[in-house]
Amino acid sequence: MSIPHPGHKYALERIISEARSNKNLNNIHEFYLAGPSDIVGSGRVTLYSPLITDLKEMADLAHEYKIEIDVVINPSCFGGTHLTPHGYNTILWYLNQLNNIGIDSITVAEPYIIELLNDFSMKTVVSCISMVNSPQRARFFENMGADVITLDPDINRDFKMLNAIKKSVSCDLRLMVNEGCLYKCPFRYSHFNLFSHVTTAGMKPPIFGDYYFDKCISIRVRDPEQIIKSPWIRPEDIKKYEEITPFFKITGRANTVSWIVNCMNIYCSGNYDGNLLEILDCPSELRDLYFIDNKKLEGCIDYWRDCDKLCIDCNYCKMVTNSALKVIDNERRDNKCKEES
Amino acid sequence: MKEEIISARKNLEETLRKITGFSIFVPEAKFFSMVCGCVGFASDLRGLLLASVEVSNDNIKNLLEDIANSLSIKPDIIYARKLPGSEEIVGLTARELCSRCKKEFSGDKPRPDIFVIKKVEER
Ligand code: SF4
Ligand SMILES: [Zn+2]
Ligand SMILES: [Zn+2]
Repeated sequence: MSIPHPGHKYALERIISEARSNKNLNNIHEFYLAGPSDIVGSGRVTLYSPLITDLKEMADLAHEYKIEIDVVINPSCFGGTHLTPHGYNTILWYLNQLNNIGIDSITVAEPYIIELLNDFSMKTVVSCISMVNSPQRARFFENMGADVITLDPDINRDFKMLNAIKKSVSCDLRLMVNEGCLYKCPFRYSHFNLFSHVTTAGMKPPIFGDYYFDKCISIRVRDPEQIIKSPWIRPEDIKKYEEITPFFKITGRANTVSWIVNCMNIYCSGNYDGNLLEILDCPSELRDLYFIDNKKLEGCIDYWRDCDKLCIDCNYCKMVTNSALKVIDNERRDNKCKEES
Repeated sequence: MKEEIISARKNLEETLRKITGFSIFVPEAKFFSMVCGCVGFASDLRGLLLASVEVSNDNIKNLLEDIANSLSIKPDIIYARKLPGSEEIVGLTARELCSRCKKEFSGDKPRPDIFVIKKVEER
């Protein structure tokens, strides 16, 4: 399991200590985090920007427990700066620093940087932002130097494709389990590009709002079936994917440490009785709006694994929505608050 | 005041759901005071489209007026906030304006990101 890390040392210590007390350390093979934002940005919201010296301390700590550290350098857009002499030198300098402090792998979306990484001993992990969703694309990236490919979650429920990719490459594959993005999200490229700019010092445009974020929530408020169609993998269903790969990634490095710990414990245990939205990496507001009974989703994967996504001829996801998803009204909310206090 | 703002949020969410038929979500509602002198009620919103506001303009106006009154605000203007160019409403505000903002917010379209539900009365 690859575990998100918000980037400050306290978080890593807490995650490791929780994993130890729950005997989950053996399930964790890696922590991943973003590096200093004044060097390069990343494809997601980043809450903390560690210095290189912080990264070294954290790498040393993780290595004590035989866990690897991955640094994400995955903006989908560098605005062309990587192809300037200054940009090239900066990236090369940065990769050298990361290599020297013992970072194990780099998650990257930009093909040019994948090639640059071939000169280093660190592993190259292709980001989900590269949208590898076919054997053809997987082979391109493997030939460029990928050691690991994080597959596009849009194919998480397409076992025919997953098996075809597995057959076509010899590098490791990784599946993201809890990304809550819309299936075939129309904002994906644009939103990653926006994050790439706003997480990079010196490139930040003064935007008047995150249009994609607002839209993404609103679509699901008006049409909750879209949450069911998102390609998440329930903790209970991970075993069905072991024919594809033993490597799974929990997403959500912009969430609180407690949320990450909770998610890690649940995915490591492979069992969850509660609101699925609590463990999905999606706008947290949705957790206060809908309750999706995870136990009622038992067996859906057997239907979805062969689903051809021709929704127009099928009502399965609507049926599942009706049976497993409830709108949380104020009465329910008040009762929940009472229970918790 | 705590009770009033809690029930203001609930009332807004429940009534918008009834008016529109969608499970509109109000993640946050606040009672605000600005340095210029304006005071008001503001809420964040999810799932509301401009078309619904246009169709139910009067209902939404009455609702916001009631909520504002419950917080002792006498709103000069009520507006929906959206991203310029988009149909998505991300907030509703009822605001008692200071004298400077009264001038600035007059007219049908004082700012590109707002849709006026109740106009500032010209004097
Ligand atoms: S085809 Fe049916 S099961 Fe597959 S995503 Fe569409 S509605 Fe769901
Ligand atoms: Zn760009
Ligand atoms: Zn004012």
